[in-house]
Amino acid sequence: MSRSSALALLVASAVAIAFADSSVVVLALPQLYVDLHTSIEGVAWVVTAYNAAVAVVALGLVLFVHRLNATRVLVAGLLLFTAASIACSLAGSLGFLISARIVQGVGAALLLAGALPVLASLSGSAARGAAVWTLAGTFGVALGPALGGVLTQAFDWRAIFAAQAPIAALGLLAATRARAQAFVEEGWRPSLARTLPANLCLGLVFGALVGALFLAVLLVITGWSYSPIAGAAIVSVLPAATLLVRPLAARLPRLTAIYGGAGLLTGGLVGLAMLPSASVWLAMCALALCGFGLGLAVPVLSGLALDLGAGLSRSGTLSIGVRHLGLVLAIALIAPLLASELPAAGDRALLRATAVVLDSPVGLSKKVPVALDLRGAFAKARQGEVPDLSRPFDAHGARHDEQLAATRDSLLSAVENTITRAFRPAFFLSAALAALAALVAFVFRRRILA
Amino acid sequence: MRASRPNPALAILAALLVAALALVAVELGKGAAHEPGPKLAHPCGQRETHAGSGLDATIQRVVLDGLDGAACRLHTTREEFVLSLGGAAGRPRRWSRHTIEVALRAGLLRATDEAARRGDLPGFAIPFLRRLIETAPLDRLIQGGIGLSDLLR
Repeated sequence: MSRSSALALLVASAVAIAFADSSVVVLALPQLYVDLHTSIEGVAWVVTAYNAAVAVVALGLVLFVHRLNATRVLVAGLLLFTAASIACSLAGSLGFLISARIVQGVGAALLLAGALPVLASLSGSAARGAAVWTLAGTFGVALGPALGGVLTQAFDWRAIFAAQAPIAALGLLAATRARAQAFVEEGWRPSLARTLPANLCLGLVFGALVGALFLAVLLVITGWSYSPIAGAAIVSVLPAATLLVRPLAARLPRLTAIYGGAGLLTGGLVGLAMLPSASVWLAMCALALCGFGLGLAVPVLSGLALDLGAGLSRSGTLSIGVRHLGLVLAIALIAPLLASELPAAGDRALLRATAVVLDSPVGLSKKVPVALDLRGAFAKARQGEVPDLSRPFDAHGARHDEQLAATRDSLLSAVENTITRAFRPAFFLSAALAALAALVAFVFRRRILA
Repeated sequence: MRASRPNPALAILAALLVAALALVAVELGKGAAHEPGPKLAHPCGQRETHAGSGLDATIQRVVLDGLDGAACRLHTTREEFVLSLGGAAGRPRRWSRHTIEVALRAGLLRATDEAARRGDLPGFAIPFLRRLIETAPLDRLIQGGIGLSDLLR
């Protein structure tokens, strides 16, 4: 491996981490919720603050990033990102963590904007640099939740941020040794207008990814009570499918790849919306479709959004801003929808759980104490905690009593199925965003390819 | 004239899109369009009686029928009614304590009579049971001051 390739690899790793950070903490949210004694809305800001900071800073940078030295922008971004990652890993309160995440987002925006010209310089051409940047970004986004889940289960939520610091520091080392060439920083077209349709599609696709990356993870961890590492194993289907579909994307006409990718993403999200029960296999099939869609659409759209004529820095920075804006706006739309559905679903789940217990063929000596313990568990759920509904059954001998065990399984199934259905409108909304991306691509098909 | 060769990538993409449709079809086949169970039965209608024999099963039949009767009087489901006892799981109570108590006593008395008619309960036990239902501190159960288990002891 040549010196330039090694440096490019280190910078690309930092780019992947910055993209992964959009979704990396999702599997750790239940642990953050408990550790920081906060509310669901509070803990959601750990995700939103980062993405909002990246979007705002990147969109602001579009105006003057081409006048800045790319290497300096990258170094400044990596310095901020490394320091903020360490700060996040040491956070003792929600306020401090959210503040550090905002700084991390500012660093990420600078890092991502500066990395494009530097990667172009290191790889010898603007097109190759853009391809490396796009590839790192696509896998970073797809891998985020799985990576966060493994680190959370193996160590702690703090490990997610602690692990990022050395990767960013190595990127910093590489950036200080790289010299960006001027030719990749300057374009001859003053307007970025021709990139807008592709960017709009990218924003919508990233908005749709909220369903696959955030909602699916929340469903698996909080609704179906899987551990973070088991959740990571389930959602890792998505990056695996993204990787698998890569050769296909290169062999398809670009518009076909966009339509197909958005169509598959829509199909996968509809598949998640239509889950009839807490079925891991059906969820994995749906996530695989989302991964295929992501792998087909995002690289092609990224390539079209990066307009060399208008300058790699400017078009890349606009693309970064629009992607993260898509994420933030989708979270702003989807979060209230889910928040309004979940309490009603909780009530329905409680009624169905009551029906299961009343109709179970278990003797009164066990039925009544289990019912009273369940009442306490549901009361905890109403306060926002994830209840362990199998514990009351196990505490009263479900391991040795087949009827009690069957009642426990029926109750868990009734609750999980009801909670699964509560995610349906939010998944459908995500699917609508993906379908809208396909529609935008169709309407602006000539401008996208111009 | 040579026929153009089909693009295998297009064929794979088409297969993936068909797989997406197949996934949704499978989900619909597994009941995705229907409400998940168990269904909450209408308390005023006929319900499959609690199976089993012995004192425990008989008491459960009487109590469950009594809850059905009480829920029927209040135009609600048995489950909703049960959750109103003692303000279960922090839920707000829909009816006053007095209304719930009256409905519960009436439901249990009717269920006792039904059980006697079916021959589930020996005749000599009926007056004793009726007296128990009429005098049991149901108001304290509804307030949450005592649990069902205390009543059954």
